[in-house]
Amino acid sequence: MSTGEEGIADRIGAFGHEAVRNGWTTERFALLGLLGLVLVAFGPTFQVYLFTEFMIIALFALAFNLLYGYTGLLSFGHAMFFAGGSYGMAMVLRDLTPHVADVVGSGIAPLVTFGLGAVAGVLLVLLIAIPVGWLSVRLEEIYFALITLAFGMLVFSVIIQNPGGLTNGTDGIIVTLGITEIAGIEFRLGDRQTYYFLTAAVVLPSVYAIWRVVTSPFGTVCKAIRESPDRAAALGVDVTYHRWMTFVVSAAFVGVAGVLMAGLANVASPYHAHWTTSAIPVVATVIGGATFFAGPIVGAFVFLYVRWGISRFPALEAHWELFFGLMLIGVVLYFKQGAAGGLLMLRGWLLDVRGAYDRGGTDAAVAYARESASARLGRTGGPSETEGGERE
Amino acid sequence: MDLSVILWFVSIADIVIGLSLGSRLFLIAVGLSLIFGVLGVLNFAHGAFYMIGAYVALAVTNHLIDNFWLAVVAGALAVGVVGVLIEVGTIRPLYERAEGELDQLIVTFGFVLVIHEVVRFVWGSQPYSMDAPASLAFSVSIAGSTFSAYRLFVIGAAFVVMAGLWLFVTKTYFGALVRGTSSDREMASMLGVDVPRLYTAVFFLGSFLAGLGGALSAPLQSTSPALGDQVIIDAFIIVVIGGLGSMFGAFVGAMLVGLMQAIGPQFIAAGHIAIPFVAMVIVLLFRPEGLFGGIGE
Repeated sequence: MSTGEEGIADRIGAFGHEAVRNGWTTERFALLGLLGLVLVAFGPTFQVYLFTEFMIIALFALAFNLLYGYTGLLSFGHAMFFAGGSYGMAMVLRDLTPHVADVVGSGIAPLVTFGLGAVAGVLLVLLIAIPVGWLSVRLEEIYFALITLAFGMLVFSVIIQNPGGLTNGTDGIIVTLGITEIAGIEFRLGDRQTYYFLTAAVVLPSVYAIWRVVTSPFGTVCKAIRESPDRAAALGVDVTYHRWMTFVVSAAFVGVAGVLMAGLANVASPYHAHWTTSAIPVVATVIGGATFFAGPIVGAFVFLYVRWGISRFPALEAHWELFFGLMLIGVVLYFKQGAAGGLLMLRGWLLDVRGAYDRGGTDAAVAYARESASARLGRTGGPSETEGGERE
Repeated sequence: MDLSVILWFVSIADIVIGLSLGSRLFLIAVGLSLIFGVLGVLNFAHGAFYMIGAYVALAVTNHLIDNFWLAVVAGALAVGVVGVLIEVGTIRPLYERAEGELDQLIVTFGFVLVIHEVVRFVWGSQPYSMDAPASLAFSVSIAGSTFSAYRLFVIGAAFVVMAGLWLFVTKTYFGALVRGTSSDREMASMLGVDVPRLYTAVFFLGSFLAGLGGALSAPLQSTSPALGDQVIIDAFIIVVIGGLGSMFGAFVGAMLVGLMQAIGPQFIAAGHIAIPFVAMVIVLLFRPEGLFGGIGE
């Protein structure tokens, strides 16, 4: 695993070097990305919706991967935190909207309530995650997957039971975001475009925060635990405590994603707590590549856009899960690096082609592309044949 | 608490219902536990296997031959074959991989999605029901409650399967190979056991039992694509309570969970869901290896 990361780091370094030499500074890349984000907002309404959902699922998967890819704990119950965020938000909007309007005036009340709901959602998630995490991190590997699955389904059955009329049972809680008025300008928070910008304004800093966590000493300890819990313990790391803290941080960010989902879907649904929702970040992360920071983001993109692509074919639409099942099996068996690993390989290859072009013009570049492509195809054909041979 | 106090809360009918729920859960949990005990693979698709067993039995009685017992055998065999194909094709390459356990879990989860969609594609989303065999289509009265004879038959079948498996594992040569390989794979391999073939055989047996459970349960429940999801969670709970890898643990766990599901709702709302979960969490925290450990016990 570590050698693979070094190779990739070198490639990123080479790419960055090229980019800087040609004037493509980090700032320009970031600006280009932001411009792209703004442009998406002016696309067709459905595309805006889809991209908003992508950002939420990306945050969900990224937070999940703090625990899976970085600490080595596979949780099959993160839906409980997703639902915790949704329900915290939905309950505040349902019960506190009139009171907030009394205090701050009806103009900005919806926005203030949304903010309160977000805080309530994350607090609710922390309230669940701190004890659940404390209990769960005592176990490892398959046992950890099972106990998180169990806690997740426990939360699901509590929501279904509608305790004290709080969760409204199987119907869930309808979320209405209302109309905000600031300085005489009215805008609907639930408007797809407005909500898109709101989501981006929450998701981007959250992604940055997770990046800071991963690159901090805290994240380094996580990776040390993933590679070898015993060695980490020998170096003086309190492994259980550290896993607990990672669990809580991961859950909190999943809660943020859940808060945003309640506003997007206009409902806090018990489905958000079902274990099939816990499977979404697993699928996205594995397909995207758990060993890369951006893997879950790429995976969430693949997840939502492949699903959308499939939905264009009515005959296949109802069976989109089939494709994700097959992708999951294929990726785990043959391509553990996932889609993010594939993209980095493609990037390295394009740079090589570029190098050939610099040396010998178009002909050299085409020749190099053809040679390396045939070599790659030959190589991937080769091992699978020998593998089949060994199996016999 | 003495017995009469318990019986004040719980009727004989609840206990029979609980045992019959436990019996069908046992048939799926024991295969799951057997496969985990020997191969170290937690098969997420085991609930989907159970569901295939029910659907194949339905298809055989509806389209091929109207014989319940042949349909049950066909369902169990079909699932056994599916299990072998999956084990040889996709799980075997992962045994040697470091941290392969989570990869195996994810691969078998992939098959949950695949099987779910294939079943929906072939049979649609509507629930099916199946008639109990004519020879058992009568009622039996116990302590003032009436039960279908078939329900009692399934409870008996679970006890027979448990006894058969116990004899098979402890008394036969193949059983000795299974026990030996489960406790030390490398040593068994050095002593000349063909480990990959044994693994495939055990996977076949575990899958066969899941298919048998599904086919036998078809007259007691409605068969729909959601069936696999429901039972796999129950089966996970059972094997954790009983001990992953222990057949006897799967039996005790299944009967306990069946009883909790039948009796639980009388104590708290949704007790049939909550009580088994709470029991599982308690077992995981205080005795992660389960109430019983080891394959031969």
